[in-house]
Amino acid sequence: MAASGSSGAGRADNGYGSQQPRRRKGPGALATAYLVIYNVVMTAGWLVIAVGLVRAYLTKGSYHNLYYTIEKPLKFFQTGALLEILHCAFGIVPSSVVLTAFQVMSRVFLTWAVTHSVKEVQNEDSVLLFVVAWTITEIIRYSFYTFSLLNHLPYLIKWARYTLFIVLYPMGVSGELLTIYAALPFVRQAGLYSISLPNKYNFSFDYYTFLILVMISYIPIFPQLYFHMLHQRRKVLSHTEEHKKSE
Amino acid sequence: MGSRVTFFEVEILDWKTKQQLCFLDKVEPHATISDIRLMFHKSYPQWYPARQSIRLDPKGKSLRDEEILQHLPVGTTATLYFKDLGPQIGWTMVFLTEYAGPLFIYFLFYFRMPFVYGLDDKLTSSPHPVVNLACICHSFHYIKRLIETIFVHRFSHGTMPLRSIIKNCFYYWGFAAWLAYYINHPLYTPPSYGQKQINIAVIMFLICEAGNFSIHVALSDLRRDGSKIRKIPYPTKNPFTWLFFFVSCPNYTYEVGAWISFTIMTQCVPVGLFTFLCFIQMTVWAKDKHYTYVREFKDYPSLRMPIIPFLL
Repeated sequence: MAASGSSGAGRADNGYGSQQPRRRKGPGALATAYLVIYNVVMTAGWLVIAVGLVRAYLTKGSYHNLYYTIEKPLKFFQTGALLEILHCAFGIVPSSVVLTAFQVMSRVFLTWAVTHSVKEVQNEDSVLLFVVAWTITEIIRYSFYTFSLLNHLPYLIKWARYTLFIVLYPMGVSGELLTIYAALPFVRQAGLYSISLPNKYNFSFDYYTFLILVMISYIPIFPQLYFHMLHQRRKVLSHTEEHKKSE
Repeated sequence: MGSRVTFFEVEILDWKTKQQLCFLDKVEPHATISDIRLMFHKSYPQWYPARQSIRLDPKGKSLRDEEILQHLPVGTTATLYFKDLGPQIGWTMVFLTEYAGPLFIYFLFYFRMPFVYGLDDKLTSSPHPVVNLACICHSFHYIKRLIETIFVHRFSHGTMPLRSIIKNCFYYWGFAAWLAYYINHPLYTPPSYGQKQINIAVIMFLICEAGNFSIHVALSDLRRDGSKIRKIPYPTKNPFTWLFFFVSCPNYTYEVGAWISFTIMTQCVPVGLFTFLCFIQMTVWAKDKHYTYVREFKDYPSLRMPIIPFLL
């Protein structure tokens, strides 16, 4: 689910390039310049992570325990995506604040509140599963935005963005769920992020139960977002073909 | 000879498919939209008037019941569009359901039903007086709301969509259960500053409840003649209504105040969280109402803020 919005179809629009029928003012020249820089930096960041993973794999000869080699850039660039919520709030990006916030926060949650906080899961292969899914998705997504802002979107990038999710999204979701599931016993053991009665705030919170509820929430949310993306794909890619036919 | 009456013809199309759903001929020119809704209902009994949105444009605003056919910008053959608003519930029913729920749910926790805290604590009572006080205050709050719904409020729109009620009930009932769980818990801890904290909270609570009630009565009196026209509310002889000098929606101000005092009284984080969410929701509603007043009345008092005097 954290991988979901990254192919963009979780958003109501289908990227900056397409024209909206509503009278929405696009970002001004300054905002466009800023957004281009932002998207280029993010593309570069996730490329660094991708290269880091490949090099580590070639050096070590196995795909286990690769998390530590890309831990810092992963945290930096994934957390940096929080800026996208501000982009929507300030109107320089035509997406819903709530939807974007939800997507980014779920990624940040997995990065910090699960993988970082529960050290014991950092060696799990499921972590590699979602990191790879996120990396490929984000590289395509941020380059899609960059090219769209510059009004020069290669069809390959558009195709990749609206097609690769078919595999990457379930892959990412599987990695995320397996990681949370692996973290459960350690959370229970350490009483991580949990508070119990009695206390003067008359409040209790069980992080273990919370994580289980998070996992359950994937059941209704994942299919909805996935089918929405498939729907977007049909719309965007068939529209382009019609456009080509008419030329 | 007698005067000729030009009858209207009214066709009603589906707003999305533009398919003709109904054709009414020989409609009186002074017929109201309400009459048209009733006629449409005859052809489609499942679509009672409250769930019909009749508009001039497919995506336009719904026409009010009082609008008269010949005063609309239509020719003698009028084309109207219909959209189904879905099942509707009357406001009174909405509020009764939304308020009766928390009232009874709280009691389940107060009396410690066996399924709530486990069999060891079933049907026991708390040693802390503040827990009894909290139950009295919480119940008073919702009983007062139920009484106001039945006897005081005069609602402008008739109904609310069914989906909204279900969503609202989940929210209000869920929160009531969550905060009742902690207040009535066997391991509940009374407020840190003891009786002083509780007494201040009770006094503040009573003031806010009295204030909220006074405002509801004052607003209701604005519509005593049964009219649906909006009027500017003004302070009356009742000192609680003097908050009208400073805010447009003092009923929301008092409501938030009551919940703040309940938070202080119980010193319970879930109550505090609920209070915070109430504050956000009421601020949104207050701002809405405030700007509607400002737009509608040129002479609207400029000192007034939406919900917090001078601030918000």
